[in-house]
Amino acid sequence: MYLLVILIPLLSAVGSGLGGRYLGRRGAGLLASVWVIVSCLLSFVLCYEILINGPTVYIDLGRWIESDLLITNFGLQFDTVTAVMLIVVTTISGLVHIYSTSYMREDPHLYMREDPHLPRFMSYLSLFTFFMLVLVTSNNYVQLFIGWEGVGLCSYLLINFWFTRIQANKAAIKAMLINRIGDIGLMLAIILIWIKFGVLDYCSLFSTLYPSSACTWICILLTIGAIGKSAQLGLHTWLPDAMEGPTPVSALIHAATMVTAGVFLIIRSAPLFDHSPTATIIVGLVGSLTAFFAATVGLVQSDIKKVIAYSTCSQLGYMVMACGTYSCISSLYHLLTHAFFKALLFLGAGSIIHALLDEQDLRKMGGIIRGLPLTYILMLIGSLSLAGFPYLSGFYSKDLILELTYNSYCLISIYWLASITAFLTAFYSFRLIYLSFVSKPNLTRISAQHLQEADWNLLGPLLVLGVGSILVGYIAQNMVFAPGVRPLPLVPTIVSLAPVIMSVTGILLVFILRPYIIYYITRPSIYGFLFYAWEFNQIANYYIGSTVWKFGHTISYRTIDRGILEILGPTGIARFLVDRTKELSSLQSGLLFNYALIILVGAAIALKCLIVN
Amino acid sequence: MSYLILSIVILLIGILGIILNRSNLIIMLMCVELVLLASTILLLFESRVFYTLLGQIFAIMILTVAAAESAIGLAIMVNYYRLRGTIAVRALNLLRG
Repeated sequence: MYLLVILIPLLSAVGSGLGGRYLGRRGAGLLASVWVIVSCLLSFVLCYEILINGPTVYIDLGRWIESDLLITNFGLQFDTVTAVMLIVVTTISGLVHIYSTSYMREDPHLYMREDPHLPRFMSYLSLFTFFMLVLVTSNNYVQLFIGWEGVGLCSYLLINFWFTRIQANKAAIKAMLINRIGDIGLMLAIILIWIKFGVLDYCSLFSTLYPSSACTWICILLTIGAIGKSAQLGLHTWLPDAMEGPTPVSALIHAATMVTAGVFLIIRSAPLFDHSPTATIIVGLVGSLTAFFAATVGLVQSDIKKVIAYSTCSQLGYMVMACGTYSCISSLYHLLTHAFFKALLFLGAGSIIHALLDEQDLRKMGGIIRGLPLTYILMLIGSLSLAGFPYLSGFYSKDLILELTYNSYCLISIYWLASITAFLTAFYSFRLIYLSFVSKPNLTRISAQHLQEADWNLLGPLLVLGVGSILVGYIAQNMVFAPGVRPLPLVPTIVSLAPVIMSVTGILLVFILRPYIIYYITRPSIYGFLFYAWEFNQIANYYIGSTVWKFGHTISYRTIDRGILEILGPTGIARFLVDRTKELSSLQSGLLFNYALIILVGAAIALKCLIVN
Repeated sequence: MSYLILSIVILLIGILGIILNRSNLIIMLMCVELVLLASTILLLFESRVFYTLLGQIFAIMILTVAAAESAIGLAIMVNYYRLRGTIAVRALNLLRG
């Protein structure tokens, strides 16, 4: 059963990928959805065993790399962290599979045309799920790296799903490349672990740890890996661009699962981080800065998916920040609740986009509460949960993280950044609700006429996620934190109340600031600065991208490749030989007296040689 | 001794004549004759000094060869003149490398 959870998505990917043309659109959708749901149910059973009954299961699948210096097995490890990740991955993935069968077709009211590539889409989704499961269940770093690269690959394939669009291609390449930067960090960390400790599987590694400077370096490199994958400050630019993919992809990959891989890496390596206070502080700072940065940018975005993308970035910052307070388990908790409400928000946004005939601009929405009441309620639940409204799932985890940061013994600035972020989060999530559902209608006539809820394949997953967003936080409180293990932060009353105050203020502020929410985007202004995401892309393109590009063209290509190497190599040698032989042959000038001279000189030299010898 | 110097001077004049001559093919032929003459004188001198007949035999043979050579050379030159209308050495540059 433990193996089945992982293998079923793979079978589903192979089945709908290779047999898609025989199964047809409907068949592939059905096959993939049912299989992933089966995997999801299995993972629930499995979580019951692991979380409630409390064993850790190790499965050895056989030898992989065998040499004297390094022995790596294929192996699975199911513990609390894995169990929580399993729930997240399989549940969200199963729901997204169902959702996609309805979403991935063009508007049914205007012209009945279905996406002909649905089997391919389903195959990629299942493959993604498989790689994510490999990532979370592996018992060593090398096998984790398979999953790590696999989800990167699937992210490329899925962002690029509509491959005829140039923007989608560019976004996919960007996602792949920026992820690679982080992957190099992870790879170096793995190599360093191997050099220092000689083992790569978690059990042996974590039992042989000792504090050393190598630990710090390993942790910093692991953090770089997490920064790339989890879209932390510096390498975050791929995440908003990845919204070029279809909405279910954004929900699955860029909200609930793939981006959490970076956080998962830190949580998994928690014992390593325990030995390195420096790296832990760095993690905390990076996380809090990311949370703050993304929240400010989220305030002013006009694309509905980008708002949610930046909120994902911000919440990932929260998770990473929680790891920076020596409380990885609370990070895991937030990861779990976040997966539910963020998937809900993304799929809800997909429902809106679907109903508005692929309109993503918040400024061209408004007033669709009349046409989409159910979506409105679900989006409201998602947004309240994201804003940390009391008794919804986001509240439990976010409140815990805020109290932990207040209590942490390192930097109090992390707490302030996190609190401001909580306020901003509430503001932008209700700005989204207000602009899309409540404000004055700003739709085109044709989309206003066709405004209606989609079918149940699309709404069903939303309902499940809505229930999840309400309940998961409460239910998981005692499941994730086994009784007695949970850290109890001791904080003043005002600090424990602060998150609630912040979020309620943020929500209310939206309705006070109503007329000023949309503003004209001009470059030299604070609004423009925030809209263009603190100009990170411009800076990266101008200072890094174009410099590297120019270096590559002038130095590597023109100077070295076509210059030095070419002159020392083929062209230079050939030209040299040809020139010399031309000079030699021009000695034979056709003039008799020259011949006579040469004969004489030759005879003299020969004579000289003879005499000398 | 003076014979030796004389013959070597004549030899050098002949060789320099071949090398430095840029105008006329006849001069070149004459220079070749000079070179042969110088070598003949050298051989005769050598036969006188060493009291051998071999040098004189060779001298007679060289005279014969020189006669034959100048006859053939002149014949080639005449033919060449008929063909090209000139015997300037400068014009003999049809074959170049």
